[in-house]
Amino acid sequence: MLMRLAIVLAALPVALILHLESDTVAPLVIVAALTVVSVLMPGSAGPALLIGYAALAMAFGDGHPLRLGVWLMIPALHLVHVTSALAAVVPVKTKIELAALKAPARRFAIVQAISFGVAAFAAFIPSGPDLGLVELLGLGSLTVVIAVVALRI
Amino acid sequence: MSRADKIREAFAQSHGAHWHPTDAYSRAVWLGAGLVVAGMFLHQVEMVLFGVPLVLSVLLAHVPQGKPTVSVRPVPRGAGAGVVHTVAQVDGADAEIAVIKLPGGIKAVPAHSPDLPVEIRRDAWGPGVDLRLDHLFAGPDGMYVYGPIVGVEHVRTILPPVEHHPSGPLPPRPAGLVGIHRSPRAGDSTELRDIRVFQPGDRLKRIDWRVTTRTGALHVRERHAEADAEIVLALDTRTDVGVNVADWSSPHYGATTRPGGSLDRAVRRAASMAAGYLRQGDRVGLMDLSRPQLNVRSGVGRRHLMRIRTQLVVCVQAAGWASRVALRKLPHGCVVVLLSPFLDDEIAELAVQTRKHGHVVLAINTLPLPLKPDAETPWGEVAAEMIAAEHRLRLRRMAEHGVKVTREC
Repeated sequence: MLMRLAIVLAALPVALILHLESDTVAPLVIVAALTVVSVLMPGSAGPALLIGYAALAMAFGDGHPLRLGVWLMIPALHLVHVTSALAAVVPVKTKIELAALKAPARRFAIVQAISFGVAAFAAFIPSGPDLGLVELLGLGSLTVVIAVVALRI
Repeated sequence: MSRADKIREAFAQSHGAHWHPTDAYSRAVWLGAGLVVAGMFLHQVEMVLFGVPLVLSVLLAHVPQGKPTVSVRPVPRGAGAGVVHTVAQVDGADAEIAVIKLPGGIKAVPAHSPDLPVEIRRDAWGPGVDLRLDHLFAGPDGMYVYGPIVGVEHVRTILPPVEHHPSGPLPPRPAGLVGIHRSPRAGDSTELRDIRVFQPGDRLKRIDWRVTTRTGALHVRERHAEADAEIVLALDTRTDVGVNVADWSSPHYGATTRPGGSLDRAVRRAASMAAGYLRQGDRVGLMDLSRPQLNVRSGVGRRHLMRIRTQLVVCVQAAGWASRVALRKLPHGCVVVLLSPFLDDEIAELAVQTRKHGHVVLAINTLPLPLKPDAETPWGEVAAEMIAAEHRLRLRRMAEHGVKVTREC
């Protein structure tokens, strides 16, 4: 039950941010529905839909690309992913020793540190369509990442 | 390979005793890479930033290797009822989290945690499964799992308990001259049997000088011999009934016998009687009235008591209705202890016939009394009273034919 509760707690800021950035209650309803699906079936496509919907809604929303909501959304969405992944392998009525969550928590912190580093890098580099070097750097990094992921698969 | 075989193979690869990726891994790969790529091409930096943690979590998670295991320190199979403690040893290999189904509930622990204490409750005698630790190991962030694995079953057999049973005097068996029961033959005990005229071969120290002086002829004192008895415990395993008549036709789950039922009482009494008589040196045998192949021949000693208790468990495992009951190859001069709820005439007839063949028969009634009628039917009380009346009549008839009957177990 602990991991299911963690999914809800991770989805709460997601719903709150999307609700504050929207004029309607539609994002709130959608996120609530996807959270319910994720809690009941953490091994389903529910968490992926929740993360994907929130990412698209934030990307195509109004405001600065690196506004406060985006900064808060980065760990929140990652937390939805991690808690859903753990909830999918742990049955509902499981007594979880907190020591068992130490390694995932450490990895979460490392990933978030790197992610915020990338976000900070993105905040410092100038924006605009004429920065060919940055685009080249980004594409190069992407190619490396895809290659590594492909090799892992 | 047919389509069904392909589906079956794909399904088998998604679980079982090997490391395999989960939905979380697919989500991290495809959603993470998708968000980063889409963000790059659509010039949406937010999408890239949301995808980066997912991609990083895949890159930081190594593919686990090795074979994690959960083993249990074995507990004695034949130990008595009560609480038994043991430990589960978790060898997690490359795993991070071990999810183990323990008797107290499912527990998620670090894969390299020290030994887990396991408490096993053994409430009832008989065979059963002590422990089966089903488990699953999760790799980094739950993106790889090993299992679920169905644990090895640790079975146990708890022998029927032995309670103190006072063993009274019994007729000795015709053979043998050792034991504690008075034999009808002459022997060397202290108990006087007869005073008779001296015969060649009599020992001089047995001469009774007082009688010899009075009568003028040599007389000797003859004493009883002491011998052991032979008891055959005859168990009626055809029915197992409790106090509630309503439950008689429904099976009982969770234990080999109904706790406090007729078979439970019979087995406990048989084990206790066997222990009591074996302790004083008598020979004890066991017979299953409906399954002669399960009989145990008469014997003595502590090992024989273990044999009888073990065979009692086997008899109960094989218990069930049989159309015929029989006592075959009864040792000459033995005492037959018949343990039965006496719910049919055939068993009463068997007791009477055994008595007529010259054996001492002790009928121990194992039917729990008074019976509780079925409250759900208006005929419940009448039916229970009818059963009890028939039962009383049967016991009285056996008593009239010389069978020693005990009303209560």
